Amino acid sequence: MISFRGFGKTYGKQQAVRNLDLNVRAGEVVALLGPNGSGKTTSLKAAAGLVKPTTGVVLVGNPGQPSSEPDARRCLSFLPQRVAFQDSLSGQEVLNFHRQIRGVDAAHAAAALGVASLNGAVARAVSTYSGGMLQRLGLAVALLPDAPVFLLDEPTAALDPDGLEAFYKVIAKSRADGRAVLFTSHQMGDAERLADRFAILVDGVLVADIAGREMKDRLAERGNMRLRVPSLDASTLAGLRVMAPDAVFTDGELVVRGPAGMRPRVIELILARGHQIVDLVAEDGRLDDLYREMVGPQREPR
Amino acid sequence: MNLRLFAAEELKIALRSRWTQIFAVVFAILASGVAAAGYVISGGHGVQDFARTSASLVHLVVLIVPLVSLMLGVLSLSLERGAAEVVFALPVSRRTILLGRLLGLFAALALAQSFGFGLAGLLVYSQSGPEGIGDFVIVLGASFVATAVFLALAAFLSADAFGRRRTRALALALVAWVVGEVFIDLAALGLATLLPSGAASRVLILASLLNPIGALRTGALLLVEGTGAFGAASLALLRFTHGPAGATTLIACSLLAWTLVPAFWAGRRLERTDI
Ligand SMILES: Nc1ncnc2c1ncn2[C@@H]1O[C@H](COP(=O)(O)OP(=O)(O)OP(=O)(O)O)[C@@H](O)[C@H]1O
Ligand SMILES: [Mg+2]
Repeated sequence: MISFRGFGKTYGKQQAVRNLDLNVRAGEVVALLGPNGSGKTTSLKAAAGLVKPTTGVVLVGNPGQPSSEPDARRCLSFLPQRVAFQDSLSGQEVLNFHRQIRGVDAAHAAAALGVASLNGAVARAVSTYSGGMLQRLGLAVALLPDAPVFLLDEPTAALDPDGLEAFYKVIAKSRADGRAVLFTSHQMGDAERLADRFAILVDGVLVADIAGREMKDRLAERGNMRLRVPSLDASTLAGLRVMAPDAVFTDGELVVRGPAGMRPRVIELILARGHQIVDLVAEDGRLDDLYREMVGPQREPR
Repeated sequence: MNLRLFAAEELKIALRSRWTQIFAVVFAILASGVAAAGYVISGGHGVQDFARTSASLVHLVVLIVPLVSLMLGVLSLSLERGAAEVVFALPVSRRTILLGRLLGLFAALALAQSFGFGLAGLLVYSQSGPEGIGDFVIVLGASFVATAVFLALAAFLSADAFGRRRTRALALALVAWVVGEVFIDLAALGLATLLPSGAASRVLILASLLNPIGALRTGALLLVEGTGAFGAASLALLRFTHGPAGATTLIACSLLAWTLVPAFWAGRRLERTDI
């Protein structure tokens, strides 16, 4: 449904995206992650037909057509990173206009507006909206046409917890309805909660394209178990390090890194050697950490 | 269909804009002032009829309408980046969007001018009756033509002006106005004094034909006043075209070109811009 083929974009001398190959199928939600200035917005804008590729093509819909064709854009909805509307219009007027352009009936528009739950504010001029209200209106506009392709650039950046919850539901329903969703976010929570697949851009290069299941495995492997153990002799620690090489014991706390499946054996070994376990916490690896590992050392945005 | 939607939306937005409203009021005051001026100057005895009001209004129109069309055009057409991203991601071609918005802006400005002309017209009518009202309508027409020409130019200037580049487009519009309003005429006159008379009159002809503001002024005065009050440049043009009919035709062609060519290039430029 969304298909980047060798997509590259150069602004002047600045190469924003290089040779990107990425597909988003129907019913699939893909999170496009990466540091500031890594080319996420550029890629999304190219998919929305706003930016002309310097190399390659971006196809949308089924069968895929270049998104620079107005007709091809019938199948897509785009929510820009900093969405804006004509200041003097009210939220309702903005929706009405888009409803007419998209040929959507009024009942459907009301449903889209319900998701945004702007309530009384729809009658007010857009110029009086807060950042989050604008984003909600933008979301309502994007939801209007029931388009099979969603391109959402940091859709949650300004949402409050209620807005966030409503948004998560919308995406879950979109997936169930067979839409192709490509979104960007700096909130790893969004990505973990929503994405079936994670694509990571660094300096315009796709450095990882990982399925959700694989991501889960990788996170599980990076899990931690912390045990409160009053005493631990050296030979037991050595025994543990056969299973988990970087197990450490300091101040009565034993930290064992490794997959979840290893944990019962760790516990068994400690107990079998006659040590006591006072307390125990186990956690999966964090996406933030994995993300940092994949992105590499922090650098200034270009 | 989409064209109509974009035109109607733009008309609505433009009519709500403070700038359009201020223009309508200021234009009405100035036009009424022009209409009343002759009446007041002649001590309330002589009556400023439509014919004489029209001749004075030409100068007002040629001065103000290009400026307002350029400024309002650039301000409206160069969208905030986030708004442009929403609009141009719609399944409508950029040319259709541009044309629709231009039509809406044109309608708004034409309404504002009609309001000003209407008030001035009522004033004149109440003082001196309907005689010469045809001239008055011609000047209103010239005002519409000026609007079309300079909105097209505004569209060209703002075709790649999103976000920060708006200021640049606005500055360019101002420069274009000053150049058309004074610079070209001055330069042509200066050049003409240095050249032998044949070449000098060709320079003057070109200046009043190729400069849309000069063409508007010459064309409107020709239709309203005839050849009586012509300056050197216009007389040279008349000699060149063997009479008013030829001159009017050439001027009409020049103004048509000044509308269509910038509008076409604006569409082309917009199609090729990254948003
Ligand atoms: N219109 C433009 N002109 C010139 N350079 C641009 C333009 N838009 C983006 N860039 C450059 O392209 C690169 C990628 O920008 P992009 O907006 O795609 O990043 P991003 O991943 O969306 O970042 P963020 O997380 O901050 O939103 C950046 O280096 C940016 O400076
Ligand atoms: Mg971005």
